[in-house]
Amino acid sequence: MAVSLERRNGLLAFFYWIWNELDRTVFTGIKFSFPARFVSPFGFLGMLTFIMFIILGVTGALLMFYYEPIMTRSWDSVAFINNDVPFGFHLRNIHYHGSNAMVMLAILHMYYQYFSGRYKIRNEVLWVTGVILGTVTILEAFTGYDIIFSERAELAISIAASLTNSIPIAGPMIRELAFGAGFHDFVLRFYAQHVFILPIVMLGLMAVHMPRFLVFDVPMVMAISGAVFLTGGVFPVDLGFKFEPTVPPGITVPEWYLTGLYAFLRTQYDKFLTGVLWPALFIGVLLLTPFLDRYKKFSWKDRPWITAIGITGIAQILVTTYWGFYIPPDTTIPLVERLVIDPINLYLVMILLVPLSFGFTLMMIHLAKDAERKAKLAKANGPKKVSEIKLSIKWTNWMLIALLAFQVFLNIAAYNAFLSGMNNVNLWITGVILIVFAGFFHLYRYAMSQSKNIPKPPKFPTTKQIETSQKSLPQTDGVQKSPEEKSSQGQIAETSAPEIKPTTAELDLNREQNLGMSDLKKP
Amino acid sequence: MSEQEKGPGGMSRRDFLKLLGAAGTSLAFAPFVPWGKFMPNPSSVTLTKVPVMLPDGTQANLHTFPVNHAEVITYPETADEVLNEEAFRKWQFIRLPEKFGGGRKDVSSFRAYSMICLHLWCLWKYWPEEGRMRGECPCHGSMYDVRTGTSFLGPASVQAPPSNTLAQLDFEADSDGFMFISPPTWGVNDNGVVGYGRFT
Repeated sequence: MAVSLERRNGLLAFFYWIWNELDRTVFTGIKFSFPARFVSPFGFLGMLTFIMFIILGVTGALLMFYYEPIMTRSWDSVAFINNDVPFGFHLRNIHYHGSNAMVMLAILHMYYQYFSGRYKIRNEVLWVTGVILGTVTILEAFTGYDIIFSERAELAISIAASLTNSIPIAGPMIRELAFGAGFHDFVLRFYAQHVFILPIVMLGLMAVHMPRFLVFDVPMVMAISGAVFLTGGVFPVDLGFKFEPTVPPGITVPEWYLTGLYAFLRTQYDKFLTGVLWPALFIGVLLLTPFLDRYKKFSWKDRPWITAIGITGIAQILVTTYWGFYIPPDTTIPLVERLVIDPINLYLVMILLVPLSFGFTLMMIHLAKDAERKAKLAKANGPKKVSEIKLSIKWTNWMLIALLAFQVFLNIAAYNAFLSGMNNVNLWITGVILIVFAGFFHLYRYAMSQSKNIPKPPKFPTTKQIETSQKSLPQTDGVQKSPEEKSSQGQIAETSAPEIKPTTAELDLNREQNLGMSDLKKP
Repeated sequence: MSEQEKGPGGMSRRDFLKLLGAAGTSLAFAPFVPWGKFMPNPSSVTLTKVPVMLPDGTQANLHTFPVNHAEVITYPETADEVLNEEAFRKWQFIRLPEKFGGGRKDVSSFRAYSMICLHLWCLWKYWPEEGRMRGECPCHGSMYDVRTGTSFLGPASVQAPPSNTLAQLDFEADSDGFMFISPPTWGVNDNGVVGYGRFT
């Protein structure tokens, strides 16, 4: 990140000292980069998933102050958090929408890695732990919405427990060991799993899943967090109905990441097959993907079979996810018939999706290769014109000030909404504030990188002279900064003479991207 | 290891030590195997003969309880009102309709089945209307024969025994017609297992 290194106060020096001392820890192996310009978020979806995990950890820990994992009280405690505790509404909604965002980001992350073939080149362990981590993420989200113990949660718990029960031979034992007997046990144990066991498992898997190169893109992190807040403000999650054991529950559907499975369950086929074996098969195929994929190339265009299988999977997931949600609205038909999905229909569609997806994939590969060829031809005719937004220094400054003023306005509006008791408006505006900050930060780093476009000082013949000029430069001209200090990722070429900063013993991550802390020579 | 170190039995000293090491490790961790018993929740309730208490607080009497009617009863009831809310302790206490012999003035005209549907553990209930007279699960439409507790339609009916028949309670009645629940034995060959089933 672009921090002015000239003005180092005591606190900053302390932080840099800590940063340097990390050289003695396990973190040496990790290479952090803070991009100084826009980079595609597809490359760091995993980091965004992890950010969601952190947000969920913080909000979840705060929710634990009020939540009571007791069968008859959990719903009421959630209602208390939602309706009475100041900012409880906010935390609950961030926690809920954050969980959805985390599952969604994890799925996107997986499919990006899948289609770009990143699981190759000795990344098999990363891929396999990632698939397990994704499964645990869904379990974590599932246990989370169960412990509210509304009618819907009760049904979800029932389904989970009885699916476990349906495993041949060991099922009833596993169910009793893991979940106990009865809903009182289920709520308490799902809670223990939700707040401790599964997160610990996830952290352990993350320690293995963590790649050595990490990207922390502040604007994208802020934009995603803001989107979660904003969604919470616009679509606040409801409480559902409190579960009453003597009142049979009405029609409910599970969360969106499980309706696909629910569609299969609704065919009323054997629940072990539909509810345990099908998802196990799906996860198993994903786990084995890097070992089944024998293509030597990475791009999805060069791996037609793998791409087609992936597209088939996505098509089936989309169709079953929608199908699981869909219940015919005609109330004159008995409930039973409305809920049942004809297995012949469902499985026929599943099978039909295979040739359709394969055809679609082949078509897309054909089109993409065609476009590639045309692009190459067009390139031969001359460089492609790309329109850019180039802001002058003056306009950048004015934009930054305008965004600051907007932030001030939004802060007043958010606080006013809170005072008026409009929690959802407050949460919505808070989301907007975070997104505005994302834009602000992007503009800031743009301006910072622009500031080094000021003509460079002329070349000096020896390194010794550079040293002297380096030190005198900031004194003579405060605005002008040496280009080396501001160099960012992808601009390594500028640092053609690494010896010009011999006094920097501290870690300067922006300077030399290919060197990590471990590469620094220590006495 | 080199050949010289092989003992008289043909086993090297290192292999022998490895065996001893494995035995020692196994013995050191053996006592923890029964600790797995920590995981299932032991029921603290002693199963005894108790009166059938209806939701209105009165004891069920076979002379007054209406024919073709069902109530929710709690068994085993505890002093803990939270645990009494437990769906696994909820039973449909049913007097059979006239055509199934519900008019008889003895315990044979009564049934009590666990309300936990054997399919996906929703709570089913008895519907006394003409043409229904069966247990129906609101979730996926499993239907239960009120005479036996066996599912005859819907997803629960296609499950292999014992998971197609509901756990049940047995009754006794005193001379005044007041009803009691006999101490049950939780097992698939006896009263059944709640949420798992019973062999008929």
